[in-house]
Amino acid sequence: MSEDPIITDIQFSNFRVLRDAHLPLGQFTLIVGPNGSGKSTALKAFHYLAYAGNYSAQTLVSAGIGPDQGQSVSIRMKFSLPGLRLDGIWHPSWMGLQWQGSSPEFQRRFGNALAVTRVYSFDANILAQPVQLQPNYQLGERGEGLAAVLDRLRDQKPERFESLNAELARWLPEFDRILFDTPGQGARAILLRTRRGHHSIPASDISQGTLLALAILTLAYTPERTAAVVCIEEPDRGIHPRLLREVRDAMYRLAHPQDYGESRPPIQVIATTHSPYMLDLFRDHPEEIVIAHKRDTEAAFERLSERTDLQEIIGEAHLGDVWFSGVLGGVPPEE
Amino acid sequence: MKVAVLSESPADELAVRILAQAVVPHVIEPVDILPLRTRGWPSVLDVVPVVIKQLHYHTLADGLIVVVDSNDSPVHTATHESVGGANAHCRFCQLRAVTSSTMQYLRPISGRSTLRYAVGTAVPAIEAWYLSGLNPQASEAGFLGGALVHDRRELKRLVYGTDRPGLSLEMNRAAMEAQRLAAGIHDLEISFPGGFGRLAVALRGW
Repeated sequence: MSEDPIITDIQFSNFRVLRDAHLPLGQFTLIVGPNGSGKSTALKAFHYLAYAGNYSAQTLVSAGIGPDQGQSVSIRMKFSLPGLRLDGIWHPSWMGLQWQGSSPEFQRRFGNALAVTRVYSFDANILAQPVQLQPNYQLGERGEGLAAVLDRLRDQKPERFESLNAELARWLPEFDRILFDTPGQGARAILLRTRRGHHSIPASDISQGTLLALAILTLAYTPERTAAVVCIEEPDRGIHPRLLREVRDAMYRLAHPQDYGESRPPIQVIATTHSPYMLDLFRDHPEEIVIAHKRDTEAAFERLSERTDLQEIIGEAHLGDVWFSGVLGGVPPEE
Repeated sequence: MKVAVLSESPADELAVRILAQAVVPHVIEPVDILPLRTRGWPSVLDVVPVVIKQLHYHTLADGLIVVVDSNDSPVHTATHESVGGANAHCRFCQLRAVTSSTMQYLRPISGRSTLRYAVGTAVPAIEAWYLSGLNPQASEAGFLGGALVHDRRELKRLVYGTDRPGLSLEMNRAAMEAQRLAAGIHDLEISFPGGFGRLAVALRGW
């Protein structure tokens, strides 16, 4: 998909908390906002469009809109190619996907890409679990199969596996290598080898933050190439603020591979965060930040670079501090 | 000589250590503590006093170097060096003021020499130093005259070929350019007299 047009905008109508909202997107987008502001809901758009037929208007419609009101739910994706768009419409009595400006070939490939698009929200306990090896195992949304994905990388692309090991050692200098255990026939488990003493630490004894960092790094080195978009919920979770620069670099490696010495095509990346420290890292790229605003039971999105007074507001302050202050919006309401 | 460096990134620290070694008349080595880091301006002003006290009371550090980017703040000039000439918006002046005032209140420790310190500002960012000798506009005069790009993203593109460099790329380029500059350190002092030249003057006095 990656040589294809990217998604530049998703418009939502009566879709849960997104009653009338549009989410601007770029090659990389970081969405920041309070809980319940529609960040995660927006990312679910990919799933609902991929499996549109499995859902009805009644299951997707915003709270407060009754089935007797005849309201449709819609998700419209616009692309970087003018005129190209995809509409998912859930009417109370029918649903349909409508393309405009696309070739049947693009429709087919994008449909396949949607089906394998994942919203990653890693869980350290799942990342640590041994896994039964299967061909073409992909990293699951909560990190299922991490050991299998790394095992395959080691076998199929050993040079890349070594690059990942080198990067891991830079992120977490106490470790120098990923090792594997075979807890049962056809099963794999991860161990990390300590730099000092070369002790093998099983995944179950590795800190949550370390496992979460390893998952982000693995994703950056083993992207699902056929996915439409890679979505990552709170990539900063459990990770020390000083490591967030590396986390940002890992996401940029996916979105801007040419800047990281990669020859593969770029992948569109959407991430969410609540971390002012993470936000600080994007001060020079406000076009990559989207603020999610929560207004009563509705939500709205705003690209930070569209604020004409941005430089005046930020001045010499940290972007994260300015966001935390509430001046930019995207903070929880208070009584 | 054990020297701590307070800067915004490991890449900046690497470059500053190489450049400082070209000036300091002693071999400098890291202090035996975890790497110091600042989140950048303006929090560095809050962190510097804490760092100085930690180094003085709890380590064997001989010196501290603090380097920040000047960004859009006033460039440190000779005028600021005159009595009463300090500029309240100049980051160099602000850093030096907070550092010297903190030093005044340190209790002497028996057998411990006074902590040395030196501050510097990269105008407008450390990438401009890396361009010194390669780009004729890369100087404080070039910045003040508008010949050197002010936009940080454009500076990064000039140095790294991208405005989204990874930390590894930054580290490699920092080491390479700092070693080149260290071989002719006077040129960097001449090109960046306020931000690096004053830093070098302080370091030579150590």
